Amino acid sequence: MPTATSVNAGLARRRAAANLAATALAYAATAVVLVALASILVTLIGYGIGGLSLHTLITDTAPAGGHGGLLNPIVGSVIQVGLATLLGTPIGLLAGIYLAEFGGRSPLASTVRFVSDMLLSAPSILVGLFVYLLLVAPFHHFSGFAGVVALAILVVPIVVRTTEDMLRLVPVAMREAAAALGAPRWRVVVQICLRAAQKGLLTGILLAVARIAGETAPLLFTSLGNLNWSLSLNREMASLPVTIYQYAGSPADDWVQLAWTAALLITAGVLFINIVARIGLRGQNRS
Amino acid sequence: MHSIQPHGISPAIDMQAAASPRTMIAIENLDFFYGQSQALKTINLDFPERQVTGMIGPSGCGKSTLLRVLNRMYDLYPGQRATGSVMLDGENIIDPSTDANRLRSRVGMVFQKPTPFPMSIADNIAFGVKLHERLSRADMNDRIEDALRRVALWDEVKDRLKSSAVALSGGQQQRLCIARTIATRPEVILLDEPTSALDPISTARVEELLDELKRDFTIAIVTHNLQQAARCADQVAFFFMGELVEVGSAGAMFTTPRQKRTQDYITGRFG
Repeated sequence: MPTATSVNAGLARRRAAANLAATALAYAATAVVLVALASILVTLIGYGIGGLSLHTLITDTAPAGGHGGLLNPIVGSVIQVGLATLLGTPIGLLAGIYLAEFGGRSPLASTVRFVSDMLLSAPSILVGLFVYLLLVAPFHHFSGFAGVVALAILVVPIVVRTTEDMLRLVPVAMREAAAALGAPRWRVVVQICLRAAQKGLLTGILLAVARIAGETAPLLFTSLGNLNWSLSLNREMASLPVTIYQYAGSPADDWVQLAWTAALLITAGVLFINIVARIGLRGQNRS
Repeated sequence: MHSIQPHGISPAIDMQAAASPRTMIAIENLDFFYGQSQALKTINLDFPERQVTGMIGPSGCGKSTLLRVLNRMYDLYPGQRATGSVMLDGENIIDPSTDANRLRSRVGMVFQKPTPFPMSIADNIAFGVKLHERLSRADMNDRIEDALRRVALWDEVKDRLKSSAVALSGGQQQRLCIARTIATRPEVILLDEPTSALDPISTARVEELLDELKRDFTIAIVTHNLQQAARCADQVAFFFMGELVEVGSAGAMFTTPRQKRTQDYITGRFG
């Protein structure tokens, strides 16, 4: 049938053209994202690297022109981000496990899921105000602890969402296989499902760390920032994002330079944590 | 468990004729429901000890459902329930007072798709054993080696017991899953289409394995492959739309079926 052949040839040509167009669009979209990302990184490194020196890393902040560094914001950020992760991750993991393994479609699970998703998209400045009312206003002073709590509240919904999603990816067959060996439910969850999903769970936690490491708004009303060296969670505490916020708009050139350097440090820090965690996980899987 | 069977005697002697074996599992008047819909209707079936019972029938006939009753797998899902009696050593295993996890240590199961756990080969086997027994490290290693030898996997993996089980081939993974099951020393092994995801060579190896395993275990196997049932099973049960249509020795079933529906199915007229 000659007509059929020509129709098929036309169809094949159209499909090839559509395929080419779709592929081109996908590449173009990828290129846009990569160019934006590269441009940010190049700018960040270009402006930030100038202020990066040992002096910056081991000297506290000082008044403009006072040859200061970033030691107290670095330490403050590490403390607050670290403690917030330690505080928020277990809550998020447990809630995510509940949603994926035990809650199902029960009203409680649906409510928890809804609230968690709301929290995920809530403006972080609201979280800051919430913690301000809860932990700052009643005590009449700002504190690092309040900052930790505010950041932890941001960690929870991110970890909840990724934990639930990753656990749902664990095949039913694997759960059944473990149960078929006589494993009680909790062992199936802890020893099989969590293990199978560990890479995804870690990704979720790292995503949360990356998110809170750059958060400024929740800290403005809670830990406030501190120009002096302080390790007390009961007092105001410095952090890199708040320092950037204070320095970036300043007329003093050395402060602007330090703001760029602080931004570079946050980015490099998050990248470093990601790489270390992935290498660690790969080693664990191989053993 | 590891009793010596008169193996290797003339293959002409029919196992069933040689000695009438003890009944391992006796199903009486079993009904099964997924919510409102009934999937099994008044099933009566005995599984003879240390024999292979093959369960055949078209998709959705209830053969896998029956298999999942035998280790109470349906317990995992609310809304699924069974009534009637399934006796194992004088105990009705579908009675809620029977501990499901202990039951599953006596009745193991191997699934359609290989399901290696995301851990090392050795840990895959140790996982099941540790659920029910406390063994010294040396005893555990012996148990692992024994289980892997019995599925003819030992020589292939003995140098990489600590490496991930997920890296094994599909056929190796399925043999590992069988090893994992026999390592817990069950009395019965259930196999749910264990070779449907495997290539022909891996399938042949698993089938050979069944012949070995029935010396020590009572085996129930669900299969879509009629030749497989004919090759492996001593007793064959044909299911159709939730009913057990016919049960008999493999030889009789495939040469002289008593029921028309059985004949239609095995001659390929439907299913």
